[in-house]
Amino acid sequence: MNLFFSKDDLSRWLDSLLLERTVVAPVRVQELTMFQPISKVGEIAFDYDYTTLSPKGWFLPPSETLFSVQRDDGQVELVPTLVERDAILFGLHPCDARGIALMDKPFLQEPGDALYRDRRSRTALIGLACRQVRPECFCTSMGSAPDDPSDVDILLTEVEDGYIVQVVTEKGKALLPQGLVEYKGEVPTPPKLQVVPVKEVISTIKELFNDPYWEQLADRCLHCNICAYVCPTCYCFDMRDYSDKGKVERVRSWESCQSSGFSLTAGGYDPRTTKGERLRQRFYHKFLYFPEQFQDVACVGCGRCVRDCPVNIDIREVISDLKQLMEAKSGS
Amino acid sequence: MDMELIQQIRDKARNLLEEGTVEGIIGYERASDGVTARPFFAYEPPAAERLIFDETCTHNLVKYLLDKKGKKMAVVVKPCDSRAINLLLNEGQIERDKVFIIGVGCPGIVETSWNYKSETLQKRCRSCQLSSPLVYDFLAGGEFERQAEEETYSDIAEAEAESLANRREFWQEQFGRCIRCYACRQVCPGCYCPVCFAEQLEPLWVGIRIAPEENELWQTMRSFHLAGRCVGCNECERVCPVDIPLSLLNRKLEKDVKELFAFQAGLDPEEPPPFATFKKEEKLEFGE
Repeated sequence: MNLFFSKDDLSRWLDSLLLERTVVAPVRVQELTMFQPISKVGEIAFDYDYTTLSPKGWFLPPSETLFSVQRDDGQVELVPTLVERDAILFGLHPCDARGIALMDKPFLQEPGDALYRDRRSRTALIGLACRQVRPECFCTSMGSAPDDPSDVDILLTEVEDGYIVQVVTEKGKALLPQGLVEYKGEVPTPPKLQVVPVKEVISTIKELFNDPYWEQLADRCLHCNICAYVCPTCYCFDMRDYSDKGKVERVRSWESCQSSGFSLTAGGYDPRTTKGERLRQRFYHKFLYFPEQFQDVACVGCGRCVRDCPVNIDIREVISDLKQLMEAKSGS
Repeated sequence: MDMELIQQIRDKARNLLEEGTVEGIIGYERASDGVTARPFFAYEPPAAERLIFDETCTHNLVKYLLDKKGKKMAVVVKPCDSRAINLLLNEGQIERDKVFIIGVGCPGIVETSWNYKSETLQKRCRSCQLSSPLVYDFLAGGEFERQAEEETYSDIAEAEAESLANRREFWQEQFGRCIRCYACRQVCPGCYCPVCFAEQLEPLWVGIRIAPEENELWQTMRSFHLAGRCVGCNECERVCPVDIPLSLLNRKLEKDVKELFAFQAGLDPEEPPPFATFKKEEKLEFGE
């Protein structure tokens, strides 16, 4: 059964949530839209079409202190970082929610990442269905859809005079106010999307490991980290210890397989020295290694890397190139 | 699109590949959005047919020559990009006889983003004084008559007039957004250190934290390293995914270097950047 929020109802409800929780929502920052903690409902960009960065940063921040060690009078104390408050991640689109569900796989797999797990369990996801899609969107090819409720606790769909409220989990149900009316109107049909033939590629990509395609594609790659940092499913990180006057902090920061030092090991050996090897890693992790470990493709079709790559390395084009290469191989 | 210009580029590229003068061509082709352009590498003569040139060809392709050291390559170069050629020649990073420069006359480049091109010329193009590349082996399209505005650095003067506290607040906010993706560095023709200070461990100049203080240190050192070397292609600002107005810093330093040393990077292949030279008479005595 679907429920209904008028726009005022929604606003009042969010106000009440803000009293006890951190609410993270899409906010306009100059020309950009970013997920940020808000202080009042008026800051939310309800009509946003995309955010520059995915909301993954709420669970895996660009940088965070995992724990600190303090030394005082010969005593050594380890102080873990604690998650202080419950939170709401509001307004994320279904593709980004799927991104979080995919991040859960490596981070929640036993023994699990304590900080990620704490944030995840104390955050409820309130999704916003996409009424419009952009030309670079391809979520339906990656196991999601503009109206997919699977990975959120509550899904809202905007209609003319308010929002359809779809309660997905018990966690979501517990957040909602009592006495919401039932929505009896029509549920809008989700927009249609382009089809990207990813299934064909997963089953055969292994055979293209040594194909010259990768070096050719990498010719124009700048090896910046934009694709990885805007991606909702890229989760690699680096760690360093910072020490200052008897206090040591262990810091984790985003890092990506595209940077030159990423795979450099102690002793100076680097298994991926060429541009092609580094670029191939990005696609192999998404379409081969992640599916081998966790059964799903590590791409949600949000289109961010397509939009933000400064030299137009387009993941949809890579997929169709790989398909053609395989067809040419099997045909010969 | 100027089909005549494009045909000249394609013909030249095909000839160079057929005759074996170069191993490859670095040019532009249409991007997957069907609207903008992207860098393109042609190694076989038929691939030359994919080359294009129009008002969306914003990328400075000179950067790619650094990846192809030792190979003879041809590169499509706009007037502004030719300053990067001069910079790299001057700094000994490329060899003149290994590069075949296909210069293009340029009517100016428009603002673009994925799947979008505007009608407006980029700011840097509105004040560009170059009618043809400063250095080339072949010129496609001939010289353009340009009616450029004079570079007045009016926005820099405005920023300079702000109080120190305001400027600090402004840049803290801008750098607070930086995600240290290093796209600004990766795209810059003047950034080619084998180990960037940002990744050096001993000594550790700047940590890995993606946080305001360290971002600020990263961006400050990056722009100072380009003082008197930045050729104004503005690629760093174009690629920044979080819209940090990096050109304000670059152009401030350009303005200062121009005023102090009467020098602009990349205009002359022989004259070294001020911070790369040292004259004996500049030596200071102890305590001076």
